[in-house]
Amino acid sequence: MAGAAIGASGASSWRMPLIVSASALLFVIGAAAPTRFAGEFVLRLGEEGLLLGILALSVAFLMNQAGLVALGAASVYGGAGYLFAIAMSEWDMTAIEALAVSLLIVVIYAAFLGALIVRTNPLAFMMLTLAAGEMVSHSVTLEGLRDYTGGADGLVVNFKGSIFGMQAADFANASRFWIVAWSAAWIAGLIIWAARRSRLGAILRAVRENEERMRFSGFNTYAPRLTAFVLVNAIAGACGLLHVLNAGFVSPDSLGLSVSTNTLVAALIGGVDGSIGPIVGGLAFSFAQDQFGAHGATQLFTGLAIVVFIVLLPSGVVGGLLEALQPRARALARRRKDA
Amino acid sequence: MLAIEKLSVSYGRVQALCEVDLEIRDDGVLHGVIGPNGAGKSTLLDAVCGRRRPTGGAVRYRGEDITRRSVAWRRRHGMARSFQRTSVFQNLTVLEQLRLVAQHLGDERFEDVIHVMDLGDYLDQKAGRIAYGVQRRVDVALALIGRPQLLLMDEPGAGLSAVETLRLFQHLRDLVGERKMAAVVVEHDVDAVFACCGKVTVLDLGRHLATGTPSEIRADRRVVAAYLGSAA
Repeated sequence: MAGAAIGASGASSWRMPLIVSASALLFVIGAAAPTRFAGEFVLRLGEEGLLLGILALSVAFLMNQAGLVALGAASVYGGAGYLFAIAMSEWDMTAIEALAVSLLIVVIYAAFLGALIVRTNPLAFMMLTLAAGEMVSHSVTLEGLRDYTGGADGLVVNFKGSIFGMQAADFANASRFWIVAWSAAWIAGLIIWAARRSRLGAILRAVRENEERMRFSGFNTYAPRLTAFVLVNAIAGACGLLHVLNAGFVSPDSLGLSVSTNTLVAALIGGVDGSIGPIVGGLAFSFAQDQFGAHGATQLFTGLAIVVFIVLLPSGVVGGLLEALQPRARALARRRKDA
Repeated sequence: MLAIEKLSVSYGRVQALCEVDLEIRDDGVLHGVIGPNGAGKSTLLDAVCGRRRPTGGAVRYRGEDITRRSVAWRRRHGMARSFQRTSVFQNLTVLEQLRLVAQHLGDERFEDVIHVMDLGDYLDQKAGRIAYGVQRRVDVALALIGRPQLLLMDEPGAGLSAVETLRLFQHLRDLVGERKMAAVVVEHDVDAVFACCGKVTVLDLGRHLATGTPSEIRADRRVVAAYLGSAA
């Protein structure tokens, strides 16, 4: 009996091709339909939502898999934008070189910061990411660095040449950038999906649950958490680079604590368990903020929404939906089996 | 296999273990450690497996001083332990956790452990949802994966009835004998220890009181006075 259980296979053979086909169809429809039917304003809100969703995806992965809440996502998101702008204007790099160097510096920064803080307990980790984020945020407004960072005014980014065949004007175009942001959300989602299903994901979950037992089972519990921290920061950095390419400028606002907390809220709204929830959360947050702003009570309604979601839908929109559907799916499977 | 030399551990001003000497051989004999509450039994295991750093003395494993080696290093080099409070992965199924550890330690024959600990009926169940007695067996099974040469067990019978404890000890005695491994078991249940351990060490107030066969220990006046009393 034990042998049979050990050798049991995973999903049914027909399920995977069906999921892949449905996903491919959804990707194509999602990339094309909004550019044909939605106006520029809606597209811009959607793009902001997707970028916030990618950022939320990185935060949610760390939260869900490693039990660590990061409050410094914005420092990497905005920091990557600043690095790109400085690399273009001060270091005379091409756009591609500037992208690569910015991302590399983000990864090195994440590895260094992570090496110092991933050993700490979850509360200390949260406070340390907040502290590191605030230091980065403050440093760009320092008078001594104004020539590089533009101080409170920020920096305008107007790159020459092209990035993967797209000019600066293409990134600023709402319809074209929608396809870029939509594709990036899918790529980030697939990376996180693969990481969750990988051995890294399994080890992270086990460490989160019982770190001592993992150490007594011969595991190094430090390296997996550091790897996860670097991975999510690389995603946050790439997301920041997309933002700066689209916006054409970078300012201290993009590094602010509010971006980090909005990211956390988006992750909670969508649900931290999985790749779809945070993206849905990012989109929902972006459109809701617009509606709340139209009534002149953004903070009030946002606060109410957070309370409602945490109390009534602790697994988020996507998590709650799946929980509601699961018993029905099980009952259907049972009926088929009985028949 | 394991040589404990003048091992001392302090918690602040409290001396939990005071210059304890002990030798454990890989002769397939279960070595029991008994003593009253606060004797330093669990502290001894903690210091040997690297959970707590000794304040004095040394731990030698296969001739090497491993006093400052990490817990993970000790596990990868054949030293395993189970815990007084069950330490399993509550949200993983029994199979998932055994497989995770087996893959890491390169143990391709971990089905043996499932059979030995009689866990075949619980493989697909989350550890948090199975009976406590079965969880204790999962805890020991996690320690047995990777075919350790030295097994340290801290009260494997905690929370079990006297009958269940005795059955578990008989199981462990047979396993240790078959595999010719070294095994140390800390236990409150003196009857189970005397019934299944080939050698017994008694600690009292952090000091080594006596080591010998169960009959030698039963006859030792110091042990009777300090721990066993008239019940022996």
